[in-house]
Amino acid sequence: MRDVLTAYPALVRSTALVAATYRGRMLLSAVTSFFPLLTMAVWLTVVAEGGPPAGWSTGDFLSYYAAATLLWNLTGDGVVWRWDADMRSGDLSVRLLRPVHPFHQYATADLGHRLAFLSVLSPALLLAALLVPGLDYPVGPVQLVAVAAAFVLAYAVSLLMASTFALIGFWSTQTSNAWLLWWGLGSFASGWVAPLALMPDWLRTAGLVLPFRTAMGFPVELLMGRLDARQTAYGFAVGLGWLAAFALLYRVLWRHGVRRYQAVAG
Amino acid sequence: MIEVRDLAKHFRVHQRQPGLRASLRSLVRREHVTVRAVGGVGFTISEGEIVGFLGPNGAGKTTTLKCLTGLLHPTAGTVRVLGHVPHRREPAFLRRISLVMGQRNSLFWDLPAADAFEVNRGIYGLAEGPYRSALDELVTLLDLEPLLNKQVRVLSLGERMRCELAGALLHRPDVLFLDEPTLGLDVNGQAAVRAFLRDYNTRHGATVLLTSHYMGDVTALARRVLVIDRGMLRFDGDLAALVEAHSPHRLVRVTLREAVPAQTWLGLGEVSSIDGAVVTLTVPRAETAAVAARLLTTLPVEDVAIEDPPVEDIVRAVFAHA
Repeated sequence: MRDVLTAYPALVRSTALVAATYRGRMLLSAVTSFFPLLTMAVWLTVVAEGGPPAGWSTGDFLSYYAAATLLWNLTGDGVVWRWDADMRSGDLSVRLLRPVHPFHQYATADLGHRLAFLSVLSPALLLAALLVPGLDYPVGPVQLVAVAAAFVLAYAVSLLMASTFALIGFWSTQTSNAWLLWWGLGSFASGWVAPLALMPDWLRTAGLVLPFRTAMGFPVELLMGRLDARQTAYGFAVGLGWLAAFALLYRVLWRHGVRRYQAVAG
Repeated sequence: MIEVRDLAKHFRVHQRQPGLRASLRSLVRREHVTVRAVGGVGFTISEGEIVGFLGPNGAGKTTTLKCLTGLLHPTAGTVRVLGHVPHRREPAFLRRISLVMGQRNSLFWDLPAADAFEVNRGIYGLAEGPYRSALDELVTLLDLEPLLNKQVRVLSLGERMRCELAGALLHRPDVLFLDEPTLGLDVNGQAAVRAFLRDYNTRHGATVLLTSHYMGDVTALARRVLVIDRGMLRFDGDLAALVEAHSPHRLVRVTLREAVPAQTWLGLGEVSSIDGAVVTLTVPRAETAAVAARLLTTLPVEDVAIEDPPVEDIVRAVFAHA
C-alpha cells in the first residue's frame, strides 16, 4: 500500500500536467462543467411561471445547482471511457506491466484531471457564492467537516462504481453504452435531474437506498442544511455501504475478468 | 531465472463471414473458434543470457512473451520468472522486469520525455540517487539530451524508441523482454538500439529475451535462439548449431582475376550466382575446405570467402521442414 501511495503524487501530477498541456480542451471542459446550471435555469423558469414547489424557493434552486455544479465535476465516471478505450486497443497491457494496480492508475488519471479543472472552477464558484445574493449555505464549522467528508465519499463512490462497471469490458465491448444506460437511470435517483425531495415518493424511497444519491444529492442537501443528524448518519451509512459493496464487487470481477484479457495488438 | 513448462495459450475468438447478411446473422448467432496460439512450449533461460525468439507471424512468439510478463493467463502449463508466477503480477515481480513493445507507446504520450521519466520514477518508487544515476547513464548511452524536453508524441519513431528503452530501463530490470524493438527503424537506428542492448546486458547482467523479424537483431545480440512455429517449439540451442543442423551447405564466394569457362565449376559445387568476376558456389559443408583449396591452386583466384547462408534462409528451412 505504501508503494501505491508513493506513486499517487507522480501519477496525479502527470495527469494534471497533461490537462494543462491542452488549453483548448481545458476551456471546453470548463464550459461543459457548468451544465448543471442549465437544469437550474429550467427550474427557475418553472418556479417563475408556476410558483415554487412546497419547501423550495428560487434561492434554494440557486444554492442547490451551484453546489451540484461542483459535484458534477467531482464524479469519477471518466474512468469508464479510459478503461473501455484501453481494453479495446490493448493499451491496458502497458498499465498491467506497471507495479501499481490499474485501478490506481485510472483513479489518479481522473483525480489529476479533476484537480486541474477544479482549480479553475472553484474560484469561479466561490466568486459566484459571494456575488449572488440568493445563494445560502447555512452550515457551521462542524457541518462543514461533514460536508467535506460527504464530498470525498461522493467522489469515492462514483469512482469505484464507474471502475466496477468498467470491468464489464472483460466480457463485453458494450461497457460505455451499458454505463450510459446505468448513469441515465441513476440521474433520476441521484438528484441530478431534480432534487430528490421533488421526486415521486417511490423514486425518493428508492433513491435513498441506491448509490446514486451519495454521489450528488446527499452532499448537496447536507451543504444546504436540509438534513438533520439522523438523516446525515443514514446518508453516510448508505454511502459507506455502497463503497464496501463496490469494492468487493470490483475485486471479484477483476479476479475473474483479468484472466480473460487478450492483450490484443502488439 | 525463466522456467517454462508445457505452456499453452488458447483464445476463443468471434468470427464471421464478410458482408451485411453475415453481419446481421452474427447479431443473433455468434460463431466462436478456439485459436491455439501456443501449444505446449517448454524452455529455461539462465541469468544474464540473451536469447532470440524466432518465428513467422502468428507463430506464438508475442503470446509467449505476454505469458512470461503476466499479461496473459496461460491456458495450461507453468511459467516462473525470477521465482514468480507472472500472471499474479505481484509488484515485486513487476519491479524486476520490463517489456518493450516496438509498436506500442508506454510513455506518457502528451508529456515531454523528461516528465514521462519522472512519472516512471514515481511508479517504481525510485529514490533520487539511483534514479539520477540510471537516467544519466541512459541519456548518455542513448543520446537523449536533445529529446528530453520534447513531447513524446512529436518524436520520430527512432527517437521515441530510444526514449521507450530509457523509460523501460530506469528501474534497472533484471529481465528485459523485447518485442520487435527495432520495428520501423532505419539501419542507423537499428544499429544504435542493438549496440545499446548489448552494452546494457554487459553492464548489468540483465537477462534478455528478444523477438524480432530483423534477423540482424538476433544475430547481433543472441547466441541462443528459440524457434517457434504454429505454437510449437521447433529448435532451442546455439544459433551456430541451428545453422549447422539446418544448413548442410556453405557458400564459397570466389573473386576471379580473369574469366574461366563455365565447365570449370563442375565437381566443385553448385553455382548459386555469377556477378561479374564474383562466383558464389553452394558446397556441402564437409567439403568446404577441400573445395577452397582446389580453387586456390587451380584457378586465377583473387579472393575466396566462406560463409554460412543467411539465417533467414535457414529459419525458413526449419519452418519448411516442420
